[in-house]
Amino acid sequence: MKILLSMNGVTGGYGDADILQDVSIQVDDKEIVVIVGPNGAGKSTAMKAVFGLLKIRGGSIIFDDDRITGWAPNRIVQRGICYVPQVDNIFREMSIHENLEMGAFLKKGDLSAAYDRVYELFPDLKERRKTLAGALSGGQRQMVAMGRALMLDPKLLLLDEPTAGLSPRYMEQIFQICRDVRDTGVAILLVEQHAKQALAFADRGYVLAAGQNRHEGTGAHLLADREVAEMFLGG
Amino acid sequence: MELIGLANYALFMGIFIGIYALLALGLNIQWGFAGLFNAGIAGFFAVGAYTSAILTSPYAEGRLGGFELPFYVGWIGAMIAAALIAWPIGKICLRFRSDYLAIASIGVAEIIRLVIKSEAELTNSARGITNIPRPYGDLPYVQSQMAYLAIVAIVLLVAYLMVERQFNAPWGRMMRAIRDNELAARAMGKNVEYRRLEAFIFGSALMGLGGALFAHFNRSITPEAIDPMVATFLVWIMLILGGSGNNRGAILGAAVVWTIWSVSEIATDQLPQEYAVKAKYIRLFLIGLMLQLVLRFRPEGLLPEPLRGDLRSDDVSSEK
Amino acid sequence: MSILDFLNFYLIPGVVLGSIYALGAVGITLIFAILRYAHLAHGDLATLGAFLAFAVVTGFGLSPLAALPIAMILTAGVAVGIDKVFYEHLRERPKIVTVMASLGIALMVRSVVQVVWGVDAESYVRGIVRPENYFGLRIKDREIYTVVFMLALVGGLQLFLARSKWGKAMRAMSDNPNLALLSGIDNKKVVILTWVIAGGLCAASGVFLGINTELKSMMGWHMLLPMFAGAILGGVGRVEGAVLGGLIVGIAEELSVLVLPSEYKAAMAFAILLFMLLVRPTGLLRGKVL
Repeated sequence: MKILLSMNGVTGGYGDADILQDVSIQVDDKEIVVIVGPNGAGKSTAMKAVFGLLKIRGGSIIFDDDRITGWAPNRIVQRGICYVPQVDNIFREMSIHENLEMGAFLKKGDLSAAYDRVYELFPDLKERRKTLAGALSGGQRQMVAMGRALMLDPKLLLLDEPTAGLSPRYMEQIFQICRDVRDTGVAILLVEQHAKQALAFADRGYVLAAGQNRHEGTGAHLLADREVAEMFLGG
Repeated sequence: MELIGLANYALFMGIFIGIYALLALGLNIQWGFAGLFNAGIAGFFAVGAYTSAILTSPYAEGRLGGFELPFYVGWIGAMIAAALIAWPIGKICLRFRSDYLAIASIGVAEIIRLVIKSEAELTNSARGITNIPRPYGDLPYVQSQMAYLAIVAIVLLVAYLMVERQFNAPWGRMMRAIRDNELAARAMGKNVEYRRLEAFIFGSALMGLGGALFAHFNRSITPEAIDPMVATFLVWIMLILGGSGNNRGAILGAAVVWTIWSVSEIATDQLPQEYAVKAKYIRLFLIGLMLQLVLRFRPEGLLPEPLRGDLRSDDVSSEK
Repeated sequence: MSILDFLNFYLIPGVVLGSIYALGAVGITLIFAILRYAHLAHGDLATLGAFLAFAVVTGFGLSPLAALPIAMILTAGVAVGIDKVFYEHLRERPKIVTVMASLGIALMVRSVVQVVWGVDAESYVRGIVRPENYFGLRIKDREIYTVVFMLALVGGLQLFLARSKWGKAMRAMSDNPNLALLSGIDNKKVVILTWVIAGGLCAASGVFLGINTELKSMMGWHMLLPMFAGAILGGVGRVEGAVLGGLIVGIAEELSVLVLPSEYKAAMAFAILLFMLLVRPTGLLRGKVL
């Protein structure tokens, strides 16, 4: 299978301090990859590094054969990576439809195919397309946020803790949507607090701790690893 | 110009620099240390000037007064009055970002201006309050000026030492933490609001004192004595140019800006009448431009804020 | 007092004054919401707009209404220029630094007006205008223009914000600036657009104040507080709120004469501002609180 994204030995942080040290992560085409780890492990930071929101001092990031290290976020968006932040990831005072429209801001021409694709994935949203996004429940907001990010037809979707604060029922639903999205040909890299559930559903996983790679492998493999279980998963 | 004239002028300027330095010091407490934007300096100044005038001047027909209290009572009264006005405004506005305080303080100054102009029984409206006693005002002219300069200098020195002491105390450290890190400040909650309120009130009290010193020096105060916008703005540029956060910078800024301001006034007054009027506005334009240039090219001012130990640790952003 | 007297002497002048405030308040609310600072030079920019129209009126013999679009365009250009030269490089600094810079700009713009046009009161047209009588309602033509133009300008703006791509981008930037950047919305263009709109509306408010009263170098500065009170009363970021707020402040100022000495008319705006900050800082229409 083709390698879509590879972070090779990335070191960097926000200011002068390096939060990530020599972190390597790889995502293949149409793959769901999850990053787990304890609080402060640098999970979200690793994801932000891909999206150009970090000062990178070492290593490289290759996406779809392009070296995107140091690119500005809006160039990365155009190249085919979309990012859904953990919080404040919707336009609250705009309708669902307008949220999607803003997601496709850089796209020229007819957007109807993109709307159709997103509304097909999230039929609930289509019914309520005129509703203000701020009036939706947490799970539905997450769907709007993902829908917004999918409007540009990305090849890779970055999700920062998409299930944070959601009930188990919604968590399952979000995971199911991730599979559906993957089935349309989009690879997903996500950060998760709910390590157990996330590893069970993802194709592969990385365990980070203190800004460094600890373990990696298929979800099942990591779940079976006693060290991983004891260190991060709380049994 | 004759030597005597020059010496007199220097005395005169020294007194004004001292008064403005007091205002700049007051603003430094508010802006330099607590990050509070006060655009109504002239209002607090006027309240101080009128309060002290009312408390100390002899009886006059048709207005409140005739208390003839000693000047220092008037000055303390000026500080209290300015503080009492600052208190409710701060109480309401300091919960929000400083933008709201900026707008409200413009409003305060405007209301104070209206009250001074319209409440004749309080302020004698346009005619103003005259016969305000001046300490050592009975001495011959030059000696009297020198005595007043000495008084202003002493007041300024005392204010400086007190403010400086506060800044190096835990209070000052906390103020800077609040100013520099809004998030940490929010986490401290109510306490922060209270500290900010303190800073706003203390700063305003100093501005009130500055107003009182001005009124006693002139022996009179009228609504037209100062142009509110010009006075407010001059104090701002003094602090920013001198170095906000630095008390010595505030005083230096007052000296530099007042010297430029009044010397340029003398220069432009030599021009024919019609140009002289225009020149006044050109000077205002230039002083506005000066602020923009300082903000852009030397935001730390002439004397940057001294590192007081607590500022040196780098703010390391953590995840989330 | 009869109903007609109330309408003629208080309500109608209040609505006219309120419409003038509303035009400024809309710009203030947009700048507050999108650029995220209080723009203290807004009033003086309105003064400049009014005097630019005056130059067109006296220079080319146009009517004030015909001069209005020209003044709006010129002022919009000045606003964009001021942003480019003086505000843009402060964008990474705390927002309050820009507030301070804008206080300096207020002084600079005003002194330009004072140098070029002097400090004496001027008016667009000489002579006294008699009001028309509509079933006992005494309304001047210019008062009708003022309200109609305000409604048309704000209506057009609302349509732009609701329908056009860049209007939505402005709303997105006001709503969630980080996400707007992540979506690839060009921040710089939104900023320019905001200044064009705010500057144009500012000029309109100055011109209408000039049409209904007279032109003075301090006219705009004295509108600053009512305009801010209107913006905060309506809810920061809410265009329709700014209109509502501006109208309420204008009417309140005219009505205040019934209970307060007329010298204190200007205190109404301040009272409304403090009252809103005290009881409902989000404003009537639930705007932002910075």
